[in-house]
Amino acid sequence: MKGLAGGKWVLAALSIVLLLAGGCAKKELVKSTDTAPGAGISAPAPVEKPEQIVSEPLKPGPQTAMAEAAAGVAATQEKPSPFPDIHFDYDKSFIREDAKPVLQKVADFLKKNPGAAMIIEGHCDERGTSEYNMALGERRAESAKSYLVSLGVKSGGLSTVSFGEEKPIDPGHTEAAWAKNRRAHFVLR
Amino acid sequence: MIRYAGALILSLLLLLLPSVSGAVLYIDINAPGGKRMPVALPDFVVTAGDASLARDLPETIAGDLAMTSLFDVIARQAYLERIAPEHFAGRQISFPDWKMIGAEAVVIGKVEVRGDTMTLEMRLYDATLGNLMAGKKYTGPVRRFRKMAHKFANEVLYAFTGVRGIFDTEIAFSARPEKGRGKEIYVIGLDGRELRQVTDNRSFNLFPRWSPDGEILAYTSYRTGVPQIYVQNLGTGANRLVARHGNSKSPGSFSPSGDALYATLSVEGNSDIYRVMLNGSGLQKVVGGWGIEVSPSVSPDGKSVAFVSDRTGSPQVYVKDFGSSNERRVSLAGHYSTSPSWSPAGDRIAFTSLSGGRYSIYTVRPDGSDQRLVVSENGDCIDPSFSPDGRYLVYTFRKNGYSELKIASGDGQWHRGLFRGLSAAGSPAWSPRQ
Repeated sequence: MKGLAGGKWVLAALSIVLLLAGGCAKKELVKSTDTAPGAGISAPAPVEKPEQIVSEPLKPGPQTAMAEAAAGVAATQEKPSPFPDIHFDYDKSFIREDAKPVLQKVADFLKKNPGAAMIIEGHCDERGTSEYNMALGERRAESAKSYLVSLGVKSGGLSTVSFGEEKPIDPGHTEAAWAKNRRAHFVLR
Repeated sequence: MIRYAGALILSLLLLLLPSVSGAVLYIDINAPGGKRMPVALPDFVVTAGDASLARDLPETIAGDLAMTSLFDVIARQAYLERIAPEHFAGRQISFPDWKMIGAEAVVIGKVEVRGDTMTLEMRLYDATLGNLMAGKKYTGPVRRFRKMAHKFANEVLYAFTGVRGIFDTEIAFSARPEKGRGKEIYVIGLDGRELRQVTDNRSFNLFPRWSPDGEILAYTSYRTGVPQIYVQNLGTGANRLVARHGNSKSPGSFSPSGDALYATLSVEGNSDIYRVMLNGSGLQKVVGGWGIEVSPSVSPDGKSVAFVSDRTGSPQVYVKDFGSSNERRVSLAGHYSTSPSWSPAGDRIAFTSLSGGRYSIYTVRPDGSDQRLVVSENGDCIDPSFSPDGRYLVYTFRKNGYSELKIASGDGQWHRGLFRGLSAAGSPAWSPRQ
């Protein structure tokens, strides 16, 4: 009886040793135990719980609502615009001279149609890193918005969204393609 | 009885502290260029299950060990002894036969598949002394058989170096699925196997970032039509919105405690860096300014953050120490430096920089000293992310629309492809230890 109790204590100590030394405080995908240190010593059978599988497959999230799914897919597609895009220099967001006549037309339209709501999309070429380009696209859209407001457009009807480098209008990898892809795009809601 | 058990504990301690017992075979992981350890990895014994496991498992371990440049796996044509089930039941391995072909160590394994469950026992022996350096038995789903091999490769590395391996870690990234124009988030093993899709909404899903426990990914999704930041449990798939303020958004990194996300949000018309509490208790601006502030990467001690700002007219990498107004520039390479990744070892920050017409990967100390060019190729190398031990980097290689994920050692001396199965693969993020 005494021997049995001692055995239990040793097993408990063993488990602690294993836990400390193995550093297995974290949940493991695959359970493991140490095996016998070789011939001469019979298997120690480290008395942990019967080995269980904790691994789970990665599953996509729950079904999203139909409307959300449609809007999400639509975000990947080029939306029609009544206005031409304006373009930007590499890594820049200032309004170029060639963009000003376009912005004047946009401003004239919005002033004549005060109920209109417009989304200004900011886009970048593929060069550089995508996270910075997301911020750069944002600033291009904001730059176009500020210019429209300076022309007398009420800011309440204007919103901006950046697509970074995700939606090139020209899929090429040349200077000419990049120049087209550094743009702001005007979408009426 | 008690004395016997005491001996058992001692043996286990020795087993768990092999750098003490196996001093003869100790490898200094920080002394590159030394002699490589010759290891034999004979076919595993398959007592029940697919016979191809006999070779796939040791080859998985061999692939992991090759990453370290510390081991040489001896070609199996030279092997003289065939491992049998009896070697796991007391029969001695013929160590002289392994020494004869130059092996200093032998890894043997035994596989048994019952239904969907696989039990895999693996042992590492010192071929000179004939003693067991490491032994483990794993049980898990058979489709994750590589995971078990990766875990034992960690044990092999630990037995020889005292350094914990990272072979069972994973890489999250975004890429274009075979259909559609969007991008989804994926996770893949370090050996380029076991690709799994995390999101499935056919919109843009970008910038995955791991929680410190490796169970959650934060990412940007356009699934409602506008960018929002979500966190998703990888086990259950459950996900929720965590940042709805402002326009463009990207999750930069989790806080070391995992309760907050350092994220880029555009709340005031340009991008700034915020600390977003995951329990919804609010957000706090961490770095701001008139320009673009983006891509926060928090130091492992949580006391500092590396980020990108274009406040001088071009994007550069800065470090801010929390509780101090001091923000110091640490990138000196070119006129475009972005995407910092603070090493989990704490000692270096990796980033992308444009010089000589191409983007390359540099590392620098957090104080801005000792900047080094690490990866430069005949194309663009961008978006580095450090391994949890700080010894490797994963990055995106891009050229003329082609893209591929690659892994390099932190000194750039070694690199290999990781994944090129989907187009527009990018923004790789290395998981923590699992």
